[in-house]
Amino acid sequence: MISLNNIRKNFAAIQAVDGVDLEIFPGEVHALVGENGAGKSTLMRVLAGFYPDYEGSISIEGKPVKVASVRMAKRMGIALVHQELSLVPELTIAENIFLGDEPAATVPGFISRRKALEQADKLLQEIGVNLDPRKKISQLSVAYRQLVEIAKGLSVKPRVLILDEPTSSLTAPEIKDLFRVIRKLTAMNTAVIYISHKLDEVFEIADRITVMRDGKKIATEPKDKWDEKRLISAMVGREFSSLFPHSHACDGKELAMEVSGLSRPGAFQNVSFQLHRGEVLGIYGLMGAGRTELSEALFGLKPATSGEVKIFGKAVKIKSSWAAKSLGLALVPEDRRGRGLVLMHSIGNNLSLPTLKYFSALGFVKRAQEKTEILKVMKEFEIQAEPSAPVETLSGGNQQKVVIGKWLIRPPRILILDEPTRGIDVGAKAEVHAAIDRLAAKGMAIILISSELPEVLGMSDRVLVMREGELVCEYSRPEANPENLGAAAAGVCI
Amino acid sequence: MTEKKIQDWRKIIVALREYGIYFALAAVVIAFSILSPEFRTPENILLILLQVSVIGILAIGELFTILTAGIDLSVGSLLAIAGMFSALFAQQDSPQLSLALAFLLPVVIGVLGGLLNGSVIAGAGVNPLIVTLGTLTAFRGFVVWYRVNPIYNLAPGYRWIGQSSLGPLPLPVLVLIAVAALAGIALNYTRFGRYVYAVGGNEQAALAAGINVKLIKLAVYVVSGLCVGIGALVFTSRLGAAQAISGEGFNLQAIAAVVVGGASLFGGRGTVSKTLVGALIIGTLFNGLVMLNVSSPVQQMVIGGIIIGAVWLDGVLRKKM
Repeated sequence: MISLNNIRKNFAAIQAVDGVDLEIFPGEVHALVGENGAGKSTLMRVLAGFYPDYEGSISIEGKPVKVASVRMAKRMGIALVHQELSLVPELTIAENIFLGDEPAATVPGFISRRKALEQADKLLQEIGVNLDPRKKISQLSVAYRQLVEIAKGLSVKPRVLILDEPTSSLTAPEIKDLFRVIRKLTAMNTAVIYISHKLDEVFEIADRITVMRDGKKIATEPKDKWDEKRLISAMVGREFSSLFPHSHACDGKELAMEVSGLSRPGAFQNVSFQLHRGEVLGIYGLMGAGRTELSEALFGLKPATSGEVKIFGKAVKIKSSWAAKSLGLALVPEDRRGRGLVLMHSIGNNLSLPTLKYFSALGFVKRAQEKTEILKVMKEFEIQAEPSAPVETLSGGNQQKVVIGKWLIRPPRILILDEPTRGIDVGAKAEVHAAIDRLAAKGMAIILISSELPEVLGMSDRVLVMREGELVCEYSRPEANPENLGAAAAGVCI
Repeated sequence: MTEKKIQDWRKIIVALREYGIYFALAAVVIAFSILSPEFRTPENILLILLQVSVIGILAIGELFTILTAGIDLSVGSLLAIAGMFSALFAQQDSPQLSLALAFLLPVVIGVLGGLLNGSVIAGAGVNPLIVTLGTLTAFRGFVVWYRVNPIYNLAPGYRWIGQSSLGPLPLPVLVLIAVAALAGIALNYTRFGRYVYAVGGNEQAALAAGINVKLIKLAVYVVSGLCVGIGALVFTSRLGAAQAISGEGFNLQAIAAVVVGGASLFGGRGTVSKTLVGALIIGTLFNGLVMLNVSSPVQQMVIGGIIIGAVWLDGVLRKKM
């Protein structure tokens, strides 16, 4: 058993972890949940030896220890699998697993490739993953990279394996694989600490759940003692009426967008659908089903090569993103940091970027008006920060609010949201959902692309399922349920 | 360290990062003033300003390309072409009309050169480093091929831009100030300026915000070309002559001024005022070292070292946040 007593860690003025007690038992899956900035990752990094200047005490099997370095933590059997993947793409699986800890050959100073390969193979077998350890990381999918990370964590024979947001880029079947591996580990008496935003996963895999908020522990209780509503309230610190508000009603009378036979070879084929004014149209599917590609085509980033698009009855050709914008389309891209934001620039400049045209005259930006509009959006979305602060200083949830908010200074007629709540905390998620509902109620036509079943089911008026680049099934809101969506994504429409 | 102290340090670092370049310029000026009596004369200060003016104008154009994470290596060669064609129409006893062409042509040639760079970079999507490396060579080749012999003795009506003064200030310095002011306004107060920063800050995000990224990229090379045209006019007029080898190495000096001025070669960060200070620092160093009788090769080594040091320091201060 590992116990942490009264752990504290601060960064300059910020008390990231504020007196936390935690006990980890062998063979348990201990979920750690909380909003961004709650201190989960910091606490785990203390345990894994990243911050030797922590306060408080840690003991292993009753013996007090001082975790002074990552190396030391590894020796004590504590392994952390990083949130951001930390593998070297151009090295092989085996080389990555033993990076910095290569098995020695008989000749001193040399490393044994044979031993490394054998041991890597054994580790992969142990977690039931069929991979050739000679393969380069760059040839693997994100899911397999995640599993290699875990194998790497296991190479030190850990007592406790810490997984920080392991599923943020995995698809449903890949998550199932991961869970199978986790159960295998716990059966071997390894403890697993599981940090995640996804509550459905937490409820599926965890034995006990600890909630953290503002650096403090709120409670640790067995899974059965929690329910979703209470868990969210504990995380956020206030009551939530609903995570998926659905108050708008779509009459389905006015067509906002009509797509027929849209194709781009290699990405999606023959996509046809209709979108109405005031409708939230969910598009569900597995990763790689072509949903993001479809959104990029609709917004002109990578135009479709054939097919027709009508916007409010008018046939249009969308060849560029600026053309799409002028037609009243807007896209909230999946890749928030890579596509959604200019990270080094201010919150204000990011918010006004797409709509600058509306408050400039003769090419000059009307700064006073710009500022008013920026403050209005920030207030509406509860982004509490200075507009002049760099957007990269915001938490993930607030960054996402900027990515969505920047289109709402001059609301588009059609809004395409690609994974709008991926990786953001519950509070921000609820706010994004409330905004979607609000905008639809005002008559905006919204395409909601999401891999999260509860989100698609909770928010959409209608759900389309995409698979291997094609729209395969369609369900109305009453028809749609986890079973038929899951089956449709896998290839069977019921 | 107490929290207060940490806060204080942070403020100092932020201030250093924001205003350090101005302190650096002041330090260089003060150091040379102490070391060299010839340096600290008003005439010499004006001379430095005059010497910096052409590079400063080029650097401002360069700044636009660097802000979009691009670069323009061709400025020196393009300056030679523009200067040569300008001089052709500005020889002794040229008629008025010809003189007018001499003023107009360099600007037109600069813009055309920028259009060529920009359309290949934005239209065909070729890396700016490669494109302008190509035109750096090709432009130079063209001007040498066209006319290898220098043109001397340009008409007095042409030389006034480069050689006359308004009060104590040489006209080239005023041209630089005007170009800088216009560039500053464009970058800070116009939509175009915002888009330039956005394209350099994150091109993908700019695209996803529905910005015509290609147009912006084309435009920054045209701006750079325009600055080259103005610079060529000032340069040729000040010299009273044009040579096919004019402007060699100007590209690197202009880039150095931008970079010493704290702009990021990865785009999205940099200002006109700091670029000017960057140009002034380099100009002052050259001048001061001459005044101290430091030999030319040693000057180059010192300045090379200082460029690297300045950018390193900027990076260090940035990481401390």
